[in-house]
Amino acid sequence: MADDKDVLRDVWFGRIPSCFTLNQDEVTEREAEPYYLLLPRVSYLTLVTDKVKKHFHKAMRAEDVEEMWFEYEGTPLKWHNPIGVLFDLHASSSVLPWSITVHFKNFPDRDLLHCPSSSVIEAHFMSGIKEADALKHKSHVVNDMQKKDHKQLWMGLQNDKFDQFWAINRKLMEYSSEDGGFRYIPFRIYQTTSDRPFIQKLFRPTSPEGSAHTLGDLLKEMCPTALPPDGEPKRYQVVIHGIEPLLETPLQWLSEHLSHPDNFLHICVIPVPSD
Amino acid sequence: MSCALDERDFRRCCRLLLRRSKQLRDGWSWEPVQGSEEGYLRKTAVRSVFLDPEGSGSDSEPRASGPSGPGQQEEEEEAADTDRRVIEDEDEDEDEGVCGVSAGSSQVLQYEYHILHSCSYAAPVLYFRAFTQGGSVRISAKKRQEAPKILPADEGRSLSLEAMWSSVHPNYRLRLQSSPLNTISLQEHPLLGQPFFMLHPCRTEEVMRPVLQAAHEQHRPVNYVLSWLSAVGPVVGLDVPLKYSTLLSPAASPGSSSDTD
Repeated sequence: MADDKDVLRDVWFGRIPSCFTLNQDEVTEREAEPYYLLLPRVSYLTLVTDKVKKHFHKAMRAEDVEEMWFEYEGTPLKWHNPIGVLFDLHASSSVLPWSITVHFKNFPDRDLLHCPSSSVIEAHFMSGIKEADALKHKSHVVNDMQKKDHKQLWMGLQNDKFDQFWAINRKLMEYSSEDGGFRYIPFRIYQTTSDRPFIQKLFRPTSPEGSAHTLGDLLKEMCPTALPPDGEPKRYQVVIHGIEPLLETPLQWLSEHLSHPDNFLHICVIPVPSD
Repeated sequence: MSCALDERDFRRCCRLLLRRSKQLRDGWSWEPVQGSEEGYLRKTAVRSVFLDPEGSGSDSEPRASGPSGPGQQEEEEEAADTDRRVIEDEDEDEDEGVCGVSAGSSQVLQYEYHILHSCSYAAPVLYFRAFTQGGSVRISAKKRQEAPKILPADEGRSLSLEAMWSSVHPNYRLRLQSSPLNTISLQEHPLLGQPFFMLHPCRTEEVMRPVLQAAHEQHRPVNYVLSWLSAVGPVVGLDVPLKYSTLLSPAASPGSSSDTD
């Protein structure tokens, strides 16, 4: 369907206007101006911020510079989560541009994974793809691919090439008609009010009777507090790629169209903003 | 026959392992996730490890004295001067040397091992992290400026990825490093949200198949988690004493519960 393909493009090309400011405590040799950047929702912070690094390095001495890391209002930002997820989870109710603080020392290694090179990001990304396919197809599709296909998925993401990426990714979105959908839906639900980093469990796209499971069905099973109690106003928003899909949306459709490039549906449950 | 391990069978295997661990005083405990049946196995151990960043391995059998169990301290050699990093790196952004030691030194580390269940791979997964013993390693000047954090009393600096690799026996190291998805990497712990090293589970089913097949043919019960642990544990310094294998009660065999697909 033409409409559905548009959704894929809209998801891929989603951007968040951001402003990077150097942490005040960093030792600088000259004034460091803030750096503005449009961040791709579907990518990862450490993959798209080389320019930010170069910009601030110019204002600092080499010996004062260690691994770069990012923080928003005191919360270290986990680079291994997609950028759009970080924004929706931590900053969606704030005014744009998203104001991120850049650090070059005191790396919080109790909170953040180190990211010394892009091969670490690639390994993490491919690991997500493999895990998603383990859930969807018992790994058959991803294991039947050649190494160059895996590489193409990564290159597509790294170089922001929608067609290159989807030429391979469409295979990961296929299923046989008798199945009616994937084996299990790859998803993660994030909630800042929880100690757990995310909720991820087995969940089928259809019920044993054959009816399609919806987003609401998923939440009822995995995160019932996200749903408004009968008759009461809702306290939480359920956000995917910055929008609130209707709870009646079939989960299989969401998985095929609103997944991130790692093939996971990343779902943020955030408190309704109090104006 | 299925080599998949579902969550219920995982918990059953863990209960049996725990029972035996208590008898053997091997230190495993079950950590439940608040308000659910979910949880993981946990064990801490002190290891004296020879960090060999060169990886030549010729005469460097890791002088690991083996996990000495919780609460037991070991006589250790003093760590060498720790102001230098293990690996000098050209990339100025790297700060892998969180645990700074000079090449080829002996180090006492506090290891923490977790065994979780992966629903995606229907297999157990091993997570671990290691800290230097608080006070036995001098903290370099840079780190002293770090903002004060509330750390548990006995924890020191966390083990860097480089240092972790250099503590893995060279025989295992080569195979693990050459196969990116069959390897050890730094990951976010799915229940605690903190960085842990993880042994990737995607090949577990492959590894377990011959074991399960043989046991099935010989009508022997098998504890999936225990068998798996005895295979992967030694790679990261976790030994499983032979005494575990004389389980008195019938163990869980995967495939006996339903895997309807």
